[in-house]
Parts: sequence; structure tokens; C-alpha cells
Amino acid sequence: MSSVPRKTVLRNGRILDPSQEMDVVGSVVIEDAQIVDMGPDADTSDAMEVYDCSGLWICPGLVDMHTHLREPGEEHRETIKSGTQAAAAGGFTNICCMPNTSPPLDNPVLIDFILDKSSAPDAGGVFVAPVGALTVGQSGKQVSDLAALKRAGIVAASDEGAPVQDSSVMMRAMETCLQLDVPIMVHCDDLSLSAHGAMNDGAVSAMLGLAGIPRSAEEIMVMRNCLLALNTGCRIHILRVSTWGAVEMVRQAKYLGAPVTCEVCPHHFCLTENAVGEFDPNYKTTPPLRTPVDVDIVLQALNDGTIDCIASDHSPYAPHEVDVPFEEAPFGMAGLESAVGATLTYVTHAGILSPLETVRKLSTTPATILRLEAGTLRPGGTPVAQVTVIDPNVEWTFDVHRTFSRGKNSAFHGQSFRGKAVVTFCGSEIYRDPFFNDGRCTLQLA
Amino acid sequence: MRNLIAIRHLEVDSIQEILDMAASMKKSVESGTAPTTMAKRTVGLLFFENSTRTRVSFEQACSYLNFRSVNFSGSGSSMRKGETLKDTILTLKHERLEAVVMRHSSAGACNLAARYFGGPVVNAGDGCHEHPTQALCDALTILERKKSFKGLKVAIVGDVSHSRVARSDAWLLNKMGAEVRFVGPRTLVPTQTSGLPVTVYYDLRAGLADVDVVVALRLQKERMDEGLVSISEFRRLYQINRATLRAAAPDAIVMHPGPLNRGVEIDDLTADGPATVINDQVSNGIFVRMAALAWVFEESVVSKKAGAKR
Repeated sequence: MSSVPRKTVLRNGRILDPSQEMDVVGSVVIEDAQIVDMGPDADTSDAMEVYDCSGLWICPGLVDMHTHLREPGEEHRETIKSGTQAAAAGGFTNICCMPNTSPPLDNPVLIDFILDKSSAPDAGGVFVAPVGALTVGQSGKQVSDLAALKRAGIVAASDEGAPVQDSSVMMRAMETCLQLDVPIMVHCDDLSLSAHGAMNDGAVSAMLGLAGIPRSAEEIMVMRNCLLALNTGCRIHILRVSTWGAVEMVRQAKYLGAPVTCEVCPHHFCLTENAVGEFDPNYKTTPPLRTPVDVDIVLQALNDGTIDCIASDHSPYAPHEVDVPFEEAPFGMAGLESAVGATLTYVTHAGILSPLETVRKLSTTPATILRLEAGTLRPGGTPVAQVTVIDPNVEWTFDVHRTFSRGKNSAFHGQSFRGKAVVTFCGSEIYRDPFFNDGRCTLQLA
Repeated sequence: MRNLIAIRHLEVDSIQEILDMAASMKKSVESGTAPTTMAKRTVGLLFFENSTRTRVSFEQACSYLNFRSVNFSGSGSSMRKGETLKDTILTLKHERLEAVVMRHSSAGACNLAARYFGGPVVNAGDGCHEHPTQALCDALTILERKKSFKGLKVAIVGDVSHSRVARSDAWLLNKMGAEVRFVGPRTLVPTQTSGLPVTVYYDLRAGLADVDVVVALRLQKERMDEGLVSISEFRRLYQINRATLRAAAPDAIVMHPGPLNRGVEIDDLTADGPATVINDQVSNGIFVRMAALAWVFEESVVSKKAGAKR
């Protein structure tokens, strides 16, 4: 992790910068931790260090809108240090951390704590943008002091896994957030319908004797939240859509002019309810893994733009919490270090998204939604140079024993992927894949 | 060593082997001969959920087999002190138990137990998933009355969604060649049953038409508390009684895995009537569980031998 000296050149790579609609072979020039020039004609003279990026993608640092760093209070699952290291290894230079910690991030002191700790020298070197709790204690009753939280540095507000059920509370929260210009991230789940459920309500749950979570639980809340956003004007971002109905609701809401964006998580476009197999708790997530029809519609919606971005919903748990009977296991899976592999394998190489659009969903759009200074390679567009180098064709096997995250609960353990983030820069080089050693993108003194 | 966790994964030959063994165990027990020459084993009966008949049945089975049974219950064990199921199972393994019979409120709990126990695990009911030994004793009881499963029509009536017996019965009877129907109100039947080998009927009369076997399931009070069903409506639409049984074949038998809610899913007259084989189900439970324990230890013991001894 040495800092990048005077003039460093990432040479001869495929530059994919959606913020400039740029897809060309060229170079990116970094000086004093800042991007100073980029493109096919970038001035690479007097370079002190050269990285040969031929055959590789040079992308703006990836942005994950949806991670759980678990600190404070749940350090047995993840810490800010291990989570940010996992982010760097996954190719992310900006991540949002969700507020459902213990205690929840409902007060400015906690936001300060996150910002301090994530910028410490021993952390992963990525930027952490905290999401504040929408209601006090995530109780769904009283809206938090969002003005104070905003001043402390939150980029959005959310009650995440404990979503506000009371519509009048949600409406008041949206009015407040509209006034403060803070977007709300909403996990859409009608808890009265999903309460006892452990997986998608369908043929597999019927066979396994597991209580089902009906798709309506998600869709009703997507519809309600879209309507409230339409009627209040508050910007909302819908977390992890999983059903074709939810996709259609978002499509309608956008058509009506509601200020709505939404994301999908890799497990919802790679896997179906069948993956639960014989009660494997690693496949337990909320919303649950759905059916092949849902996966098809989700992929289509990624292609047509109804789904704005891809987020990991990185939800690490300690092994002892997951190694329990399925019904008792927590919902969620670690995802930071598998997101790029899963996306390239199931979306890009499947022809659903072009490389440029893939990078847009993983970087530029989430940065735009949250108004982060990120998601671009434009000189001066970010506080420090944020670059992710992706080898789009490397074939590798995801192994939880090699991840930085403390959460080993992954749906993708043992899965083969094609495509991986191999080197991540955030000011300086913060991560290099130890198995990527064919000589490319290796520091060479000019 | 083998596990007996789900009928869903059992092959027809194995089902037949256990049923044959159970029939021969029954013969030898009733004739007073020793049913087995198996080595003495120590079996843990691990019941995290209440049970009377299944637990007693396994205890009886152990005693006829000359096995030692060791009892645990959820409330009396260290699970109450926060121990995980994994650690409980590891402990029992190192207490040198040779098999575990387990009942647990979570579907799939036996899969986890099997992963860590390393010896035979017999599922005595896991959540709403399966209850294989109950299905086997239902099968033995049917076989005693109907001689063959081929072409039999079986209606399983009532709270199918929450019934592990319904799932195990359906798999077993379907594998052995019977036609299985689930009959019940929409709130108590899974919305999608394409993963189960059954035909669904929401109308009792249609569901019972020409069936040879009726299995009535207990309507659990919790379900009424959840508002899934009104008891008076259920009684009116789905009760097994003399009038509703007219739709079934004239020699149809009536079964119930127990415990009964007399006057709810089944009326008194039928419960005590000549078509009912509930008591046979209970006594066959012992022999089937003897056979199941022998089978998991891969002792294909008796069968012919016991007959030869006589």
C-alpha cells in the first residue's frame, strides 16, 4: 500500500467511463493521488510508474450503495476495517453503510464514529458514506433528527431491514427528507405478510415445509412507497427488488414521474428459490430468492434501465449464527467480494449489459443517485483518484476462505466466475489481487 | 450407517425393506420370540418439541430391540442455556450415543444434526417438513388392510400446509404407486404444490370421491388463533363424518396421525367406528420404529430369520 508517487500512468487499457460516455482504449494519468488526464490522447510523458492495462478495463472506482459494516455493536460479524478491506478487494472505492447497527445510526455522534474509523490508516482505504436511521432506534415511529444527521455527513436515510410499516410515519419522513434534500432508501416489506416466512412462498417452500414469504409482501410496499414518493416529491431509492411485480411497479412509478430509483443484488439475478436445496442457510435472504420468471424480468429490467444499479447488500454474519436450522438462520449474505464476478458472469457476458452499461450500474449511477463525488474518471471529478481495474475474462472460483470479510455466509462459495476486479486505486493502490500475476497492471518503473 | 430424514429421498426398495422388516418384527413380537439378534445400541431420543406417542413408541421400539434409550428434551437440556443445536449434537456424539432420534420445531433441523453427528439420525418430525416414521406406520397399516398400494386413492384432509405427516405420507404413498390427494381450505393448503406428488382438492366431496383411504389431520388451535380458519366453518366444510364419508369407497379406511380433536376434523362416531384404524396406526408405530432403527444401523436382521426360528 505505498502511495502513488508523482506521475503514474495506467496505460493501454479499455477505459470505461459512463460519466463521459467513454469506451475507448487509452490511458489514465495520476499525479499526486489525483487523476490529471485520461483518454486515448492523454499526456503520458515523464511517467515515473507505468501499469500496462492491455486487455483490462479501467473503470471509475465502483460504488456500492448497500453494505452492512456491522460496527458499532456487531463486530463479531464485521468491522469497519474488515468490511472496507473487503470493499477494496471487491473493486469498490465508495460504499454506503446501513444504519442497522447496535445501536442504530440515529445520532450524529455515531456518524462521526463511522467517518473517523473508516478513514483511519489501518482501514481498507475506501470512502464510507453513512446512511442514517430514518426513525429513532429504527422503531418506525418517530422520525430521526435528520437535519443533524445530514450535517454529520449522511448521504441517505433508511430503516433498512426494519422498514417503516405505518404509512403516515413514512409520509412524514418523506416530507422531512424532501425539505432536507436527503434521499430515503427503502427496503420494501409488509411485515404482516412476511412475518413467519423463511423463503419465497412457492413450490419449493411447500415441498420443504418452510413458511413462505409471499411476493405481495414486497410488491405492496414498493407500490406504497412509490405512491408516497410521487405525491410528496421525495427522492426514494428502492433497495433490492426481487419480483417481476416489484419491477413493474417501479416502471409504472417512473412513468408517472415519481422520483424513484432502484437496485438489484447479484443473488437475485443469479439464483432462484431452488438454490435453497436441502435447507442451506447460506441461501436465506430478504427478499427471498425468487423464481426463474422473476430472474428473467429482473435481467430485462437491468437491460432496459428500469433497474438503475447493482448493489451487493453485503450482509455478513458470524459462522455460528448461520450454522443453525434454516428457519432460525438470519436473512442475508456477504456480497462485496463476489459482486463483480457475479455481475460480469451473469449479466455482462450473458449479453444483458454492455461493459459500459455494466460499469454505469456499478459506479456512475449509484454515485449520481447519492450525489457522491465518485463514479467518474474525469480529472478533478473525485477528491482523489478512484480507479478500479477489472480483468473481464479471468476465470476464477469464489472461495469464502480467501475473503477479507468476516462474514463467510455466501451463496457463491465454490462458484466459478468470469471477470474480477484485480487492482483498486483510491488515492493510491489499496488492493491488488495476489493471484493476478501475469505481468499486466504491474507497477513498472519507466 | 444411514439416516432416515425424509421419505422424499428414500428409494422404493428401502421403503419396502423397512415395511417388510416391520411386518416381521410385528410377527415375532406378537408371537413372543426375540425380534432381533442385533448388538446392543444406545440411542438418544432428542425431543425439542412435545410428543407423547412418538416418544413412547420409540422407547418401546428400543426396549423390544434390547437397545438402551437416553431421553433428552428441549426444556431440560442445555439448549435452554443458549447452546446451539450444533453443539448439542456434537456433545451427544462424544457421549458415545450411537444414534439420535430427533424432533425439532424447525424444518431441516435433522439435516444439520446429521452433518455433525456422524452416525444415524432418525427424523421424528422436523417443523412442517417430514415425519418419516409416521408415514411408514401409516403405510404398514394401509398394507394390512389393502394388501397393495398400487392404484389406491388416498385423501389427506385438513391442515396440509402445517403437516409434516401429510408431506411424508404423500411421498411414501406416491412412490409406492398410490394416488394422493390433498384436501383442505385454501388457507391451509400450500399455494403451489408442483413440488409435491399430489392433486389438490378444495372441495371435500370431490376430494373424497372413491378414495380407499382417508387421512384426517389435526387442526391445530394455533392456526385458528392466526385467523387462518374458523373452527365452525372448518367443521362444516371438512369434517370427516358418516355423511361426508359416503363419497369415499364403501370399504374406505379412516386414519389419523393423532392427537385427535374429536368433533373438529373427525366426529366421535367415525373416530370410534369400524372403518377407523387409528389404534392400529399407534401399535404399528412401534414395529415400524424398530425396523427404522435396524435399517439405519444397516442391520437387515430378522425378516426371514425370525420366521424360520418359529
